[in-house]
Amino acid sequence: MTISDLYTIMPIVITAGAALFVLLCGPMLLSASLTAIGVTASAAAGLWAALGTPASTQAVSGLCFTPLARFLIPVFCFAAAVTLLLSHSYNERRGIKGEEFPATVLFALFALCVLPCATNMLILFLALESVSFAFYILVSMDLNRAESGEAGLKYLLMGAVAAAFTAFGFALLFTGSGTLQLSGALARPDNRAIISAGWGVILVGMAFKLSLVPGHLWTPDVYQGAPAPVSAFLSTSSKVAAAALLLILLALFPPMPELRVPLAALSVLSMVLGNLAALLQQNIKRMLAYSSVAHMGYLSLALLSGSRDGYAAVLLYGAVYTAMNLAAFGAISSLSIDEERELVTDYAGLGFTAPLRGGVLALAMISLAGIPPTAGFIGKFFIFYSAIKGGSIALAIIGILSAAASAYFYLRVVAQLYMHRSQAPAPRAVSLAEGLALCLASAMILVIGVYPGPLLKAIDTALQ
Amino acid sequence: MNQLPLLSILTFTPLIGAILLLFVNKNSHGVLRTIAMAVTVVTFVLSLPLITGYNAPGSDIGGFQYLENIPWIAAGPFQMSYHLGIDGISLWLVILTTFIMPIAVLSTYTAVEEKVKEYMICLLLLEVGMIGTFISLDLFLFYIFWEIMLIPMYFMIGIWGGKNRIYAAVKFFIYTAVGSLLMLVALIVLYFKAGGGDFSILRFYQLHLDPTTQMWMFLAFALAFAIKVPMFPLHTWLPDAHTEAPTAGSVILAAVMLKCGTYGYVRFAMPLFPEANAQFTPLIATLSVIGIIYASLVAMVQQDVKKLVAYSSVAHLGFVMLGVYALNQQGVTGGMLQMLNHGVSTGALFLIVGFIYERRHTRLITDFGGLAKQMPVFATMFMIVTFSSIGLPGTNGFVGEFLVLLGSFESNLRWYAIIATSGVILSAVYMLWMFQRVMFGELKNPKNQTLKDLNAREVAIMLPLIFLIFFLGIYPRPIIDSMAPSIDKMIAQTKVQKQVAEAAVPAVPALPPGHMAVPEAGAAPAGMPAGHPAMPEAGAAPAGMPAGHPAIPANNEAK
Repeated sequence: MTISDLYTIMPIVITAGAALFVLLCGPMLLSASLTAIGVTASAAAGLWAALGTPASTQAVSGLCFTPLARFLIPVFCFAAAVTLLLSHSYNERRGIKGEEFPATVLFALFALCVLPCATNMLILFLALESVSFAFYILVSMDLNRAESGEAGLKYLLMGAVAAAFTAFGFALLFTGSGTLQLSGALARPDNRAIISAGWGVILVGMAFKLSLVPGHLWTPDVYQGAPAPVSAFLSTSSKVAAAALLLILLALFPPMPELRVPLAALSVLSMVLGNLAALLQQNIKRMLAYSSVAHMGYLSLALLSGSRDGYAAVLLYGAVYTAMNLAAFGAISSLSIDEERELVTDYAGLGFTAPLRGGVLALAMISLAGIPPTAGFIGKFFIFYSAIKGGSIALAIIGILSAAASAYFYLRVVAQLYMHRSQAPAPRAVSLAEGLALCLASAMILVIGVYPGPLLKAIDTALQ
Repeated sequence: MNQLPLLSILTFTPLIGAILLLFVNKNSHGVLRTIAMAVTVVTFVLSLPLITGYNAPGSDIGGFQYLENIPWIAAGPFQMSYHLGIDGISLWLVILTTFIMPIAVLSTYTAVEEKVKEYMICLLLLEVGMIGTFISLDLFLFYIFWEIMLIPMYFMIGIWGGKNRIYAAVKFFIYTAVGSLLMLVALIVLYFKAGGGDFSILRFYQLHLDPTTQMWMFLAFALAFAIKVPMFPLHTWLPDAHTEAPTAGSVILAAVMLKCGTYGYVRFAMPLFPEANAQFTPLIATLSVIGIIYASLVAMVQQDVKKLVAYSSVAHLGFVMLGVYALNQQGVTGGMLQMLNHGVSTGALFLIVGFIYERRHTRLITDFGGLAKQMPVFATMFMIVTFSSIGLPGTNGFVGEFLVLLGSFESNLRWYAIIATSGVILSAVYMLWMFQRVMFGELKNPKNQTLKDLNAREVAIMLPLIFLIFFLGIYPRPIIDSMAPSIDKMIAQTKVQKQVAEAAVPAVPALPPGHMAVPEAGAAPAGMPAGHPAMPEAGAAPAGMPAGHPAIPANNEAK
């Protein structure tokens, strides 16, 4: 290992260092400065990754700055920075004190940065589980609300089961291929059965992580119970990480014929049930949770195509979904007063009394519904494009119809924001950090929606 | 040819206006209204050079002009372009849009007192979407503009609408969104059938797809457009949307947005899938005729003036569809003219309903009666517009409806035309009956005795529309002339399969479309002139046929 090798994995070093620094020096510093350190570290790590060039050799054993990492790390860092910006004033209002919060976010970011760099199945697994570990803590961070603790416990139990499945799957893949190395591991044809079994078990684990039906049961409770900024981070980064893990594995062990049927079933069930369940929700966070089930269904539709276009669509959708959900949960977090506004009807009239946050929430909803000129449309377009190219026209039509139905519940929020009289208590003024975070997220939504060219190019290089 | 990207400037002037409005204080209503008005007037003025510049000597007569083509999204195999251009068909729809917008803005001066800023922004964004829809030559770009129209309209209905506004807004949105999403699937399939490359409509025109693919894709496109038109039985969103929308919203919805549906047929669904189109012609013609009759009958029994006008819209668009599906020169020209006419006269009707609603806050026919005595200017204008909507000779409605009926009579849609003619009578019944009940009789209701006549602003709104009603009714030639070459191209494209089969047929024959043509073609008088007023090479037409009145001599000949 040389210094130049270290440079390539600098984002990991930065985030790890920042997490430790915040944890150790936290008691001596103001909480505002801790947040500032966290945001700076995330931004620095993201920029470093975005501007760096992918390395062909391992920096340390098990880690290599791959083209995929170059694309994903900035996405993760963006999510973490926005989360930190949002959480500062939210935590003050909710009485969540201490340096643990920014430190845990940074620790999660560190694990997220490791994940796409992994060249070894063990590192991959450890990274994934570290991410989950950080989220178990973050979800139950709000000690004043019983739901938060309940959500944490639920997530922990479900997550542990999922982790067991994933670990078992990795073990089977190891048995089948004879190596833990991700670079050289090629399935020997005679071991196809074992590899397929491994894939099946991993798929179960990932269905939990991605909250695909029937592994979605934890999602509404956890989203509802977790503090809103945490929901923002959880619903974006942990999903993208799980999708990235599947991408990495698919690139090496491509047993697509066997995977097709289960993946198609997961995808259709998630799209249809997710959207149908979301139609019935009165609580906005539960609604977004079911919507996230549906969106992960779209994402697995693209995975199903098994083509380069499909994988590109997955990465694109990951980035797009990150921007959309950060904006949505960000607005929810920022519009909260002493308590969060839980019901959709609590948002009545806020489009006019809080124009920025109402506008961001409306934009996020329109984007989630997949209406141009927002990022959501571009993301959906490429998903369905790759699905149709891969020959699953029937699935694509099911997906599109369920997406059309989903417009109803997204628009219900917009209707509340703009078309009902306000009964809700007036929102407080937006803080600078929140405003910045919301503007960043909505700028992403609009820029990707109008001019996705550069992002598509970046994805193209990431898939090499 | 033209260095200035006029179409882009046209499309994005309203967007710049909308951004400008963001920075104006929301309480200074006067400033907001003036800026919105100025922006729409500037857009209208900018669109005028298109009329004179189109088909300039040396250009591709009847083809797409003012082309702009910039690669927009290019990733991997993917190519989407920012590809704009207009032909004779879209030219007039763009002009209609830019013409209606200042009128719509002016009509809101007293109608909208709350949230003026947001309202004006919605109006301007809507204009961006509508102009963009008409000028996009890239299907992907078209789809984006097509969807962009939805959001501002959704807000306009939902925020400034009547009692049931949210229901109407959501219904409007869901109906339109479902249709267009299926179109999106078809669009992607079409793209693959074309074998990669870009989404340019000009390239897709060259494709020869197998009949089964054509059928499914035609169905997807046709469904999306049929919802927008709206055709029976998909029209149910329209009365709700129209009734609940604020006046300017109704005007724009009727005058321009419904045209996006018929335009979609003319530009996309028909020429892209000629064989499927021929196959489904009877179905669409049947639905159009049912639409005409059914909507007229329903209009007759309406208590609410606005609902009545909304149903009359459905009937009028039935005529447009019938004319377009006649697929001969008269029919398509009539259909196109009828789109413009409907824009002008139904727009005017909604404005009139708006005037009266602002004064009385009711739209029930029974609440009125005898208004003519109290409001003579209003009565005169209402009368003219009513006549235009019925299609009285001398007004614009006559030319369009007549050409439609003539064209479809000459095609193999003869029986449809005969049945549709009763729609003309029905329209006279419901419009005149409504007019009589509202305007004549005794001025009984005391509230109506204090009504004020139209003020100067309201007269100024109506005058341009009334001018157009007569202009299009008496001298539609310039418009027909500039549309004719493009319509020829569209017909040739839609009949392309047939032409390949009968390679000997010169120019564009006035034969009925599709394969069912053969038996009836003999029945139709051979060499029936295609009403080609503008085409010098239409040798079959009697020389000296006055192009300004294609209808009248053609009528003589039919006898």
